[in-house]
Amino acid sequence: MVQVKIFADSTSDIPKELAESLDISIIPIKVLIAGENHLDGVTLQPAEFYEKLRRIEDVPTTSQPSPMDVADAYREAIRAGHREILSLHISSKLSGTYQSALLAKSMVEEEFPDARITVMDSKSVTYAFGVMVVFVARAAKEGKSVEELVALAEKVRKEQVLVALVDTLEYMQRGGRIGKVASLVGSLLNIKPIISINDEGEVYPLDKARGKNKAVSRAFEILKERIPGGPVYAAVLHAGQKDQAEEWLQKVKAMYDVKEEIITDIGPAVGTHAGPGTVGCLLIPLDRLQMA
Amino acid sequence: LAQQRILAADFLRMMRAGAKKLTQNVPAVNALNVFPVPDGDTGTNMNLTLTSGVGEMEKQVSVETVGKLAEALSRGLLMGARGNSGVILSQLFRGFARAVADKESITTRQLADAFRRGVETAYKAVIKPVEGTILTVAREAAEAGYNRAMTTEDPAQVMEAVLEEARRTLARTPEMLPVLKQTGVVDAGGQGLVFIYEGMLSALRGEEELLPVSELPDLERLADVAHENAQAKLDPSQIEHGYCTEFIINLKTVRRPTEKFDEALFRKEMERFGDSLLVVADDELVKVHIHAEYPGDALNHAMRYGDLTRIKIDNMREQYDRVTSGHGAKVEPAGQEEAPVKEKKRYGIVAVAAGEGVADIFRSLGADVVIGGGQTMNPSTRDLVQAMEQVHAEHIFILPNNKNIVLAAEQAGQVMNVPVTVVPTRSVPQGLSALFRFDAEAGPEENRQAMLEACAQVKTGEVTYAVRDTVLNGLEIKAGDFLGIAEGKIRVTGKEKNRTAEELLDHLVQGGTDMVTILYGQDVTEAEAKELVQSLESKYPEIEWEVHAGGQPLYYYLFAVE
Repeated sequence: MVQVKIFADSTSDIPKELAESLDISIIPIKVLIAGENHLDGVTLQPAEFYEKLRRIEDVPTTSQPSPMDVADAYREAIRAGHREILSLHISSKLSGTYQSALLAKSMVEEEFPDARITVMDSKSVTYAFGVMVVFVARAAKEGKSVEELVALAEKVRKEQVLVALVDTLEYMQRGGRIGKVASLVGSLLNIKPIISINDEGEVYPLDKARGKNKAVSRAFEILKERIPGGPVYAAVLHAGQKDQAEEWLQKVKAMYDVKEEIITDIGPAVGTHAGPGTVGCLLIPLDRLQMA
Repeated sequence: LAQQRILAADFLRMMRAGAKKLTQNVPAVNALNVFPVPDGDTGTNMNLTLTSGVGEMEKQVSVETVGKLAEALSRGLLMGARGNSGVILSQLFRGFARAVADKESITTRQLADAFRRGVETAYKAVIKPVEGTILTVAREAAEAGYNRAMTTEDPAQVMEAVLEEARRTLARTPEMLPVLKQTGVVDAGGQGLVFIYEGMLSALRGEEELLPVSELPDLERLADVAHENAQAKLDPSQIEHGYCTEFIINLKTVRRPTEKFDEALFRKEMERFGDSLLVVADDELVKVHIHAEYPGDALNHAMRYGDLTRIKIDNMREQYDRVTSGHGAKVEPAGQEEAPVKEKKRYGIVAVAAGEGVADIFRSLGADVVIGGGQTMNPSTRDLVQAMEQVHAEHIFILPNNKNIVLAAEQAGQVMNVPVTVVPTRSVPQGLSALFRFDAEAGPEENRQAMLEACAQVKTGEVTYAVRDTVLNGLEIKAGDFLGIAEGKIRVTGKEKNRTAEELLDHLVQGGTDMVTILYGQDVTEAEAKELVQSLESKYPEIEWEVHAGGQPLYYYLFAVE
């Protein structure tokens, strides 16, 4: 049995220990803040990043890993004996990381003709993408083939429901990742968009509300509409809002039969574009997932 | 011997006298407003409406028939209609005009019948007719007139019967509408109608003083004359100012600051741009015709006073060439006279709001045109039509944001040649909530429903002051007191602005209240508003408070409670 080696970029926002325990190799995105270059999640941790964001005026920027960076990572795995690699990446609508990975794949496959690298556009981001990787990595440990893993990743993406609130549209707009949410920009009223990610891998508004209270209520209404009940995998993601994330998780637990739960940090790379204060919840109805 | 028929000249005198009588009594009608809030404008609205109607009659150069005059009156009323009573007045005379459309002169019977037709039309126009208002007064009066017409050939006697019954019915309006009785007043709109009838009767009796005839010359006619003169010397080498330029300045532009308009000064200024200058102005609009060599300069200059509409620019040299080369015997517009055609938007949104801050918020939520007005100055049907005409859209949504503008908006909607949806928003908070729910991707009916729902989910609070002493809902109110109005009902009075505001919010805030948006008016300082919010935040920590400078007149605070 050949175990498939799993790669993901750091926008998957998978907690470090979890990634290590599942043998997921993380390729970091580069984050430039206050004139310093950082590797997302390696030299810059979420708490430190949001703290910096509060203190400094400077606007952070991100850049995709170069094809060389990705190729180096693949080579290392191949030298360690892996021959099958599945590399999952942030939505190609949001970043060029997928492109870098495709170039790296062709370079490395030429060098190692017996290695097979499959690069997949997750069409998602943050832990909505991360959860795909986690499910895939578990299945990989069970010896599933690349084809099965790709199908599983797709299934996890399709069945999950993500709702997120950004505190301000400023960061999404500034970073050019605003997509279909752009129509909500410019209002003088305090509008809280409730956002998600669509099938094309773009950020889009599910709805909008006046003020945070209403936005949170509406976000949970949407969850309830999409997943009326049953056993779920629940993840709450947050950008420097641990307390709020705990509250959200309690709400989810009150509403669903939560079989597995996790609170994850939205890391510096995604946080650069979502902005501090973003909170989101994703649920996977486990019964639907098993009916595959 | 009593005159048997009403001739065109008589009808004009009647309506002039009616308008004059109403004008003289505007304050008396305004004073009948039920609420002691500074929006007692029924008299103002009716007067502006009727003035517009009579103005249209005056424009008829040769008075020929009653039918044509009545039609002009009806047209002028329709476009000038402001406020609910103004709209109803316009409908009363619309029905009247239809009844006499083909009449050169009218008999007592025809007069009486026309009054009845007016009442029918007005009742149809109002979705939920309320008894004890101008409608009842008009109906009872018309019936009395009709009965009297059976037994007399003297129009003055019919008019007398109409007036007497109108007065009697007016006196009974407090019996029909509890709110009138409680306040101890008769219906304001009904009173306005009685004044109009009084004027009309005095004219029939030959007792009215002659009104000074206001001459508002018709621009189109004058422009024609100017063009005839121009054609006489239609040699291109002689055309000094090559572009015939016509446009209208909207003096009521609120989206940006404009300069104060002075007609005499404006003429002087415009003269330097060309010749054949014609300027026709009223309080709202200035129609301008000029032959200019650089029309852009003329337009830029005019922009100082307001936004421009109906811009039409013809190249007169080109027209001359066409005439002389025999491609057409007539001078025709040069084809590019209209502004470049933009792609029509699917939806256009027009909102009515007073206060630059409030207008900005509406615009930030997607309103294309925000038309000034609200509490004290209700825009006329014409204002609303013009606002809608500025929007280049396939379907227009209009948010009146005041219960007294809803009817005028509906009337304006009927004049437009694109579909118009009136969302009957009764307050600025309702309007904001409705517009917030608007979805450019959704269908018109879906949007209408969503917007109506949104209206129902917001509660409106207003803080203003009392314009007179009264007792209402058991509250003793003194002129100058601050009033807290919740959902249209006076709930709180006080001597201190912010205290009144807080007590009002105690009435509006409930368990499910998530957020309150506060728009503070032009007579509230930022510091006062902040002070209020700080106090409210500590009192209601679980509620989100959002504050904006609304800049609205008369209303110190507007609250949207959701």
